[in-house]
Amino acid sequence: MSFKDFFQYAVPTRVIAGRGLLEGTGFEFAKEGATRVMLVTDEVIRGTGLVDKVTAGVEDGGLEVAGVFDGVPQDSDTEVVVACANAARDAGADSFLAVGGGSVIDTTKGADMIFTHGGAVADWEGVWSLPRERDGLGRPRPLAPLAAIPTTAGTGSEASPVAVIKDRERGIKFFILDWPLSPDLAILDPEATATLPPQIAAATGMDALTHAVEGVTSTEWSPHADAFALHAIRLIHANLERAVADPGDEDARGNMLVAANLAIAPTGLGATGITHSMSHPCGARYGVPHGVANAINLPWVIEFNVQAGDEYADRFRAAAELLGVDAAGDATTIGGALADHVRGLSSRLGLPSRLSEMGVPEEGIPQLAADAMGEGSTLPNPREPTEEDFVELFRRAL
Amino acid sequence: MAYFKDAQEVYDTIGKLMQDAATDDELAPKFRKANTIVRYEYRDPESAITVRLQEGQPGDVDFGASDMEPEVTMTMEADTAHRFWLGGVNVTVALARGQIKASGPVSKILKLVPLAKPLFPRYKAQLEAQGRTDLAGV
Repeated sequence: MSFKDFFQYAVPTRVIAGRGLLEGTGFEFAKEGATRVMLVTDEVIRGTGLVDKVTAGVEDGGLEVAGVFDGVPQDSDTEVVVACANAARDAGADSFLAVGGGSVIDTTKGADMIFTHGGAVADWEGVWSLPRERDGLGRPRPLAPLAAIPTTAGTGSEASPVAVIKDRERGIKFFILDWPLSPDLAILDPEATATLPPQIAAATGMDALTHAVEGVTSTEWSPHADAFALHAIRLIHANLERAVADPGDEDARGNMLVAANLAIAPTGLGATGITHSMSHPCGARYGVPHGVANAINLPWVIEFNVQAGDEYADRFRAAAELLGVDAAGDATTIGGALADHVRGLSSRLGLPSRLSEMGVPEEGIPQLAADAMGEGSTLPNPREPTEEDFVELFRRAL
Repeated sequence: MAYFKDAQEVYDTIGKLMQDAATDDELAPKFRKANTIVRYEYRDPESAITVRLQEGQPGDVDFGASDMEPEVTMTMEADTAHRFWLGGVNVTVALARGQIKASGPVSKILKLVPLAKPLFPRYKAQLEAQGRTDLAGV
């Protein structure tokens, strides 16, 4: 294994995991400086009673719930972010607590950013684009205290420095990447995923698997990323099917929360790949849920990327072995076996196997390929794809 | 010590490369598919190059102040830009380290990175032709 010219590793989020943590939410969030909390969620989660439990937990720690914003839709956008920030200002909040999946957490990150720095959401689009000391060269200015309780086990947004937000006017999803978007606190309690529908548990779990596999096989792999991603794969292998088959299996759900949290760490620092490059435009243009798109695209990308050279073939072999796949043989054999395993897993989880099943038309492929070329995940892919390669990959996945 | 002593040197070298690329029959049409206006803001020395990459539009390149409103802004040291055009910068790493910062729809520019590779040997040859062998070999 080579020693890299450069890598960095940081997980700024304090993560606490375990049972019965929701009732201690206020006790924990107080340590991050929160006093008046804006709780952000969606109507579905609020309807489950989870928000009431978290509210009680916040108040039990001596904090106040300044307000509850439950207007986050499944596919949140810049207008919702601004509405949430305004609601927090109106309520006199000084901190944000997200209780939800990726859309809720990313909306909360964006709202905290606007609440703290002002401006329009799109003003901050980019990489390291938030205000910094020393004329942009120093430490980033902090956001208001931010905590997240994920109610899905997949996106890992509760511990990533990234927010992905839809801009309906431009018809795109854009991202903002900067350290302050890493929540100060993430609470992983399986009680928060108790009412998660099995099909969403399946799709988000495949999102976590994609983060982990791409984290190990990206050009931006690192020893630290390997440690997180490979153990995430172990946990996913042991727990994903259990969590989907039996929503009452609290151990499996808890372990999936940990797996998703581990798997996002490499991704948040750039160790990703073209499964994401393909899946983001599928979501932006055709509304394909991110986890479903990843589940469909991942095996085709594995077969493409496994040809990136011996070092990467060995990395795919390591991932395959942890998933219980016979990983003997040459790169083509490893890639084929791993891809078939992922397809089988998706099938057993009840997920679709084709993009066409999700409404992606064949005539949409050229635009999807062009979009994929510009995705930030394309540069750290172990094989440099051409636009024609993307066209072929989308054709296979269709 | 920085490679360039003043903004004019940046414009004479990196700027010239961008001007030539903007009128290149083979490369310019590919770059214009980005359909954006990008402004490169350099430090040490302070300088700026604004480039129009829009289909059906001329490939304008402005040095310093510009009337073109950028959609994407890439900020870096001029040295980083110089080493990029010599093929010596891993963009993913430079972004990760914050050596390059980007504001706006970054994807429009990232998709150009692979397309820029044919310009690396051209930049080196241009520097040598300009008598800037001190820069061509760094």
